[in-house]
Amino acid sequence: MRNDTRRMVFLALLVAMATALHVAEGMLLVPLPIPGVKLGLANIITLLTLHLFGFKDGFTVALMRVVLGTLVSGMFLSPGFMLALTGAVSSTLIMALLLKYTRCFSMVGVSLAGAAGHNIGQLLAACLLLQSSSVMYYLPVLLMAGIPAGLITGLLLNSLLEHNIKSGILNDFKRT
Amino acid sequence: MTRADKILLAGLLLVSLLSVAAAGSRFFLLSGKSEPLQAVIMSQGKQVRRINLSAGGRSSFAVQGRSGYSTVEIEGGRIRMLNAPCSGQICVKQGWIEHSGQTIVCIPEEMLIRIEGAAPVDAVTR
Repeated sequence: MRNDTRRMVFLALLVAMATALHVAEGMLLVPLPIPGVKLGLANIITLLTLHLFGFKDGFTVALMRVVLGTLVSGMFLSPGFMLALTGAVSSTLIMALLLKYTRCFSMVGVSLAGAAGHNIGQLLAACLLLQSSSVMYYLPVLLMAGIPAGLITGLLLNSLLEHNIKSGILNDFKRT
Repeated sequence: MTRADKILLAGLLLVSLLSVAAAGSRFFLLSGKSEPLQAVIMSQGKQVRRINLSAGGRSSFAVQGRSGYSTVEIEGGRIRMLNAPCSGQICVKQGWIEHSGQTIVCIPEEMLIRIEGAAPVDAVTR
């Protein structure tokens, strides 16, 4: 019982952090003249949750983050929300599969694959939404932009987990 | 970073560079000659207008989008979104398009402007 509450509190904290990152990122100006390019900072939290708690909780945190984040920024149920949702779902799926079935990737590899999955899922959704396949011409641009974004989030997570090995701060929550 | 990470990174870089090259060369091939071009305007999944761009001349008209009317302007074989009620204004900032295969997309308004026209080649194998 105690562990259940502890887990719930920690998951709630993760959702709050992911939402804050999602919203803060929306306020940042991207120094590129390309729409739709972003760092994907909220992805750090999704990947951390997947790592600590597994697929189900990682999925929950990602979905809650999209719903809360779009509610805060006033985009809830808009076409932009649909894109954020499909992007989050596809990237979480890919990252969960990689975490579960492969051992050879560090967080950088998983996060890179997640970024690519996010972009592909999002563009497929845009194709459906606009009923046109010409949106797919945008894929190269997004894939290119996804590489540094995935690298940055992956490296951040790597250093976080490295720090955790030394300090053991996260292990307390993992024991549920 | 593990070795698998680096392989994945290199693979992704390669794929994105190749896709940039593929898309770029396709645009290059398609925009080689000035064939009769048509602009197709879609709104919320339906085609609302099809205009011959090669005719030249200048005109503008309103198109109903998701939340209001957007103005599309045509001038000298080019087309652009003159104004739109969307928040991002990405479609407006994109400016003029004039080659076959180019598109202007407005996600908030669910609108799409696409230029169609005969390609200067019969087919492209990829």
